[in-house]
Amino acid sequence: MIGIRGGADTTRGGHLPDTVALFPTCLGDLVMPDTVEHAQHALGVCGLDVRPVRGGTCCGQPAFNAGFHPHARRVARVSVRALAQTTGPIVVPAGSCAAMMSRHWVGLFAGDRDAELARQVAGRVVEFSAVLATHLDVLERRHLSWPGTAGYHDSCHMLRELRLSGEPRAVLGCVRDLELVPLASADRCCGFGGTFSVRYPEVSVAMADSKLDDARSRGVDVLISADPGCLMQLGGRAERTGDTPRVIHIATLLHEAGLR
Amino acid sequence: MSDRTQLWRMAPTELAPHEDALTRFQAELERAGGSSVSVGPGELVGEITATLAAAGAHRIALTADLGDARPVIAQALEIARYDVVDYDAIADDRAAVRDLDATVTGCLAAVAATGSIVTGATGAGRAGALVAPTHVCVVETRRLVDGLASLMRLAPRLGAGSMMALQTGPSRTADIEKTLIVGVHGPKRVHVVLLDGVLAD
Amino acid sequence: MSEDPLTSSTFAERARVQLAKPFLREAVPRATDIAVRDLRERFAGHDYDGLRELGREIRARTMADLEDALATLTDALVANGIHVHHAADAAAAREHIRRICRESDATRVVKVKSMATEEIALNPALVADGLEVTETDLGEYVVQLDGDRPSHIIAPIIHKTRAEVRETLSRVAGRELPDDASELTDFARERLRDAFMDADVGISGANFGVAETGTIVLVTNEGNGRMCTSMPRIHIALMGIERVIPTLEDLSVMLPLITGAGTGQLITSYVSMLSGPRGEGEPDGPEAMHVVLLDNGRRALLGTEYQEVLHCIRCGACQNVCPVYRQVGGHAYGWVYGGPIGAVLTPLFLGTEAGGELPQASSLCGACDDICPVKIPLHDLLLQLRRTRVDDGAAPWRERLAAELWAWAWSSPRRYRVVTRIGGGVVRVMAAAGLMSSLGPLGRWARGRTIPTPARRPFHSRGERDV
Repeated sequence: MIGIRGGADTTRGGHLPDTVALFPTCLGDLVMPDTVEHAQHALGVCGLDVRPVRGGTCCGQPAFNAGFHPHARRVARVSVRALAQTTGPIVVPAGSCAAMMSRHWVGLFAGDRDAELARQVAGRVVEFSAVLATHLDVLERRHLSWPGTAGYHDSCHMLRELRLSGEPRAVLGCVRDLELVPLASADRCCGFGGTFSVRYPEVSVAMADSKLDDARSRGVDVLISADPGCLMQLGGRAERTGDTPRVIHIATLLHEAGLR
Repeated sequence: MSDRTQLWRMAPTELAPHEDALTRFQAELERAGGSSVSVGPGELVGEITATLAAAGAHRIALTADLGDARPVIAQALEIARYDVVDYDAIADDRAAVRDLDATVTGCLAAVAATGSIVTGATGAGRAGALVAPTHVCVVETRRLVDGLASLMRLAPRLGAGSMMALQTGPSRTADIEKTLIVGVHGPKRVHVVLLDGVLAD
Repeated sequence: MSEDPLTSSTFAERARVQLAKPFLREAVPRATDIAVRDLRERFAGHDYDGLRELGREIRARTMADLEDALATLTDALVANGIHVHHAADAAAAREHIRRICRESDATRVVKVKSMATEEIALNPALVADGLEVTETDLGEYVVQLDGDRPSHIIAPIIHKTRAEVRETLSRVAGRELPDDASELTDFARERLRDAFMDADVGISGANFGVAETGTIVLVTNEGNGRMCTSMPRIHIALMGIERVIPTLEDLSVMLPLITGAGTGQLITSYVSMLSGPRGEGEPDGPEAMHVVLLDNGRRALLGTEYQEVLHCIRCGACQNVCPVYRQVGGHAYGWVYGGPIGAVLTPLFLGTEAGGELPQASSLCGACDDICPVKIPLHDLLLQLRRTRVDDGAAPWRERLAAELWAWAWSSPRRYRVVTRIGGGVVRVMAAAGLMSSLGPLGRWARGRTIPTPARRPFHSRGERDV
């Protein structure tokens, strides 16, 4: 992961804003485009020149995790090549996709004609909340407010492959009136797991329930995550059971808190 | 290879520099469900007798690792009307072993960081410290070692025979609904008498 | 033996059975949470990761020349007067143990909990020979009385309620025992005491075999390990060949790892270090000691990408943190080893025919990697097994077709946009019509979750911000 800093302060100094590429990921693109827009706005507020990536599709993770490496490579290649056309850090508003790109692309493309390209692109990948965590001063100045009780759910790969857990919490710490309660199950898998969720739906749903039960027992209004996969799983389950909490992306919470 | 000289930083089974061995031993043993008391040579027999009385024990076996103190302890217990035998004399008699209420043993070493006592097949036997509901162990304080690493360095020279055993507090299980039950196949009560002196006196 | 659940049912089917047991889903998380909490407490202020790294180094160094370590161990065991037997597979191991029992005119056997003896299905073979076999770990005793299987590496009856245990033991007692864990334990203690005293042979596994001194190490809390190796006249230890560690110094690293990761204890109540049969002048102990060294698929893993699974010391920590295991327990995995380590070991030991499905039964969350006391990369091994299954053509045609279609559509931005526009419309229409269950994987998703409706305007079509 590479750090980025700059943005608002430097623009006032007369410098050009730092350019970042925003990779929406396929889930973000197709299912949660509003969330990607929220992320785009948030980065813009931090003074970054945000260029959405066109022409990429997916990081290849579903096939990679299922063992279909040639298939994963075929798909990831499109994204690698599209991202190679961009400059600056590649911001990914999806924890596990960021982990796939920065941790597994090098291995996936080992010995491939795009190996060097994949290595370069992988080295530029940064997860969305980690970028915001380098602009806490900007967030503080925006007087963000979201009255309510929230729980944060760690995306497994974001937590264990990227070791990002303090960053999203620090970002949420900038939102006034938001009470972030620690969940005993914060770092336990939501049950998504890509193909796992459709291969073993009953087990997957039971895992989501244990997470949602924990959030409910803590009186949480909103369950926040930085990973569309987890959100789809937990949100889909919460919606089906017709119950709280609301399950949203950290970018959406910031948007609702006034970061727009 | 990592540097193992700082094992204590990583492993809770080692003593930190300047940590008091006796204090740590007593704290860990208590945490494991055992009890201990420090005595001088003149108080040893009285302490053993009092412990056995409190446990309601009657039939007592003494193991060979009590050394020259064994006949002295035996005599005192007999005077107090306990039924006293040498463990090595009855070890092959299953009925007699089963009937024991308590055993009194010495030890080869004790591990400060873990609150463990260490017995050997040559002294306490394999089961001398194990078979009765109450176990009283006499530990000369000079036998305290800091942690597991020190014990393992020392182990080949302890003369344990065919078995060396570390034993930490009473026997326990949490198999039934994770409820901690003390006293399964080993003793329910483990009392360590820390002797500031030498057993052979 | 009863029907093999691995070949007669799928993980999904077994998981469904387990999910229907409310107690299991309450008890397993509770028990495993306690173990993990205690581990963290015991290592507070200590560098658990540093110790894990030392453990990993010891295991890796040993596996790098396992044959050398085994030769040293064998020589030292023999020098200690221990009979050493080599078993290439489960059948050979069973045969060695049966022969030793036969030649010593044994009629009664007591056992210490051992995953290796479960692995070779020892008990049925001994019973078939007319031997009376008694498991002496409280949990294993209950499992044996019930004709059940252990469901956790170190907590075999984690899946049973106290009421169930009471029912089982009351049946043996011939009277109603009180509903109290302490009194139930007392009853078992008395029963098992008879078994210890009368047994001819004690059979144990081996937590470690120390090569330099020829010492078998057993780690227990109940004291049954000590009893089984003290009272009977014969002691047989069945040891997986990978359980060798070079030195006693290594043991001072491995002991806090196995007890910490296993139960959250600083050290277990009993650690027995056995270096031979009863010696001259010793008051008790077996007249003969045998060690059976079990291969059963282990050597075949040396030098492969799976070698690190041989580092496993069977502590159960990966089961404790596994979010799948916590929901379904050990029986869903269908064989001896459950949880992440089971999902890796089962296909490697039994072949992909029987165990090939298990690596799929993971959400790949990686919690197991973070707790494993010897840092086995279970997550990577699961991925590798999945990959091998695909590369070997063992994936079902439906999966291969789905992967092909997905890769075809997703590997061109144009096709991706067209296909998802059409697909999004189809999903929206089907969802509106309540027909989702007919849509294959989406239908399975729809069991319990609402389908995320594809946006009418995906991000890529929000052109005004195009660059």
